[in-house]
Amino acid sequence: MAEKMTPFERIEAAYRMEVPDRVPVTPIICYMIPYLAGLTIREMFTEPERHVQAFLQFRDLIGDNCEPNILVLDHLSMLGRAGWDQVTLDWRIYDKFPPDGNVPNLYEKPIIEDYDDVIERGFAPLLFNKKLENRVWTRSVDDFLYYQYEYRERWARAWREFVEQTGIPLLKGGRACHPLDLLQYYRGIFNLTMDIYERPDKVKQFCDWVWEYEAYHAMDIAMTMGAGEVPGADVIFFINGGPPGMSPDIYNEFYWPYAKKMIDTFVNRGFKVWNHWDNDHTPFLETIKTVTDGIPKGKIVMDFEKTDMKKAKEVLGGTVCIAGNVPSALLVYGTPEQVDAYCKQLIEDCAEGGGFILEAECEVPWDSKPENIRAMIQAAEKYNPYR
Amino acid sequence: MGKLADALVALDKNAALAATQEALQAGTDPLALVNEARQGLEVVGEKYDCGEFFLMELMRAAQIFQSVAQVLTPKIVEAHGGVKTSGKVVIGTVAGDIHDLGKNIVKILMECRGIEVIDLGVDVKTERFVEAVQKHRPQVVGMSALLTASVSEMKKNIEALEAAGLRDSVKIAVGGGIVGEIDNSVLGADLATVDANEGVRQIEQWLTA
Repeated sequence: MAEKMTPFERIEAAYRMEVPDRVPVTPIICYMIPYLAGLTIREMFTEPERHVQAFLQFRDLIGDNCEPNILVLDHLSMLGRAGWDQVTLDWRIYDKFPPDGNVPNLYEKPIIEDYDDVIERGFAPLLFNKKLENRVWTRSVDDFLYYQYEYRERWARAWREFVEQTGIPLLKGGRACHPLDLLQYYRGIFNLTMDIYERPDKVKQFCDWVWEYEAYHAMDIAMTMGAGEVPGADVIFFINGGPPGMSPDIYNEFYWPYAKKMIDTFVNRGFKVWNHWDNDHTPFLETIKTVTDGIPKGKIVMDFEKTDMKKAKEVLGGTVCIAGNVPSALLVYGTPEQVDAYCKQLIEDCAEGGGFILEAECEVPWDSKPENIRAMIQAAEKYNPYR
Repeated sequence: MGKLADALVALDKNAALAATQEALQAGTDPLALVNEARQGLEVVGEKYDCGEFFLMELMRAAQIFQSVAQVLTPKIVEAHGGVKTSGKVVIGTVAGDIHDLGKNIVKILMECRGIEVIDLGVDVKTERFVEAVQKHRPQVVGMSALLTASVSEMKKNIEALEAAGLRDSVKIAVGGGIVGEIDNSVLGADLATVDANEGVRQIEQWLTA
């Protein structure tokens, strides 16, 4: 068994598919801790020092790395494609926590109508689209500029202090979206399906245009967050695994080439990549196995939601680290005993030989039971296959 | 199967529309053509069930069906005086949840099967579900949700339908990402599924029983 490791060493060992002292455990917590600490979403978004203080207060729920909620930076920014957040976020929740509904809550409304227009003029014209949420315009230009530039630095400072105080690395420094995921948000799944069949060249033209922008935006934020200096800030969180229900043909033609291109770009520029891929990727595991082709190994985590984890270990074990997938509903409605049993099975199925991180299937819901998160963290200590 | 059904299974919209025009010109009853297109859709559904087709292909087939139906509906009205539906379903995404992707997929699949759908939209409060059942008298109520917090809303809606004396008049189907992770006995729905095709097939069985 390896000597007792720090959280950072443990996560690094998992990336490299080496055997750590125990299975790393990393529930992704965005909203739950601010909620428990009594912050409103407005406070959580606009006061990074209090936001970080909340995470320090509930350190026992964090695990081996910490989600620095950099999504907030996109929510509050207005320039570039981040304007999408301005128009689709359900801002009714802004001053309420708990909200009437859930967070994050996004309206699924198609806001791209003309691919050519977006490709020629960028995302800015979308912000003048008549389907915009009017409240976006109640903010001043100074306000937008502040959140676009200065606020990022303030956010990064707060999280750098968190890492220095706790020794817990960040889960990520930057966040990038696959072009097809962006299209799913901008066009809606129904329209995107139609586009893929009826104007595939336009879909590819958009993907060709946006992937690089998206990749560099993520690396830019990661540099602000301290990549190369702050542990974990060099990780790009690459979401979301594409629209649900892609056929292998669609996956191979529209999803995988851009996913691989973006992953290669990150790794070749010295970043690590945490692929947080929703839905079920079981049919595509053989393709995913080629993820490390042509790039250095030990730089990637494949974090799955509904993918068959046992099968993922069979196919990807020895090639790339996998992470997953304690169900959200279990964390909200289950008991600590049920969470413990689920984690035990996951560790049995996936941990052998290293290269596994015990993870929630997606972001931990804000209304999860704290005792269930603790049960997940304790399971990693309790069922240690590397003793 | 005929050319139209074959084209649907091949997910070839142009071929489906061409086959439709050709058959109409040859004097085929438009109602028979709708049935043939549904046959094709049925085959696509079977292929989806056995893992040969994926959700996007199921959606594509439904889109092609809609295009064919756009051509055929006026002809059916002309020839038969109207389009018969095979039942009525009230559907909505529950309060607090504004995701409509899953709901819309189910809605389209139901419409392709000739089911009348009353779509209440997203973030639908309990009272609106109750009012819609009172007003439209559907045979089925469908509730969709993606988020964990929405589960209690589904339960609240079912209890409200019970309290209003409407529960026995409708079947209740719940669907969406979160539904697959919870025990339906907690909710008390007649069907809980994450599979759009399975849901629509069960609803169709209820309507034809």
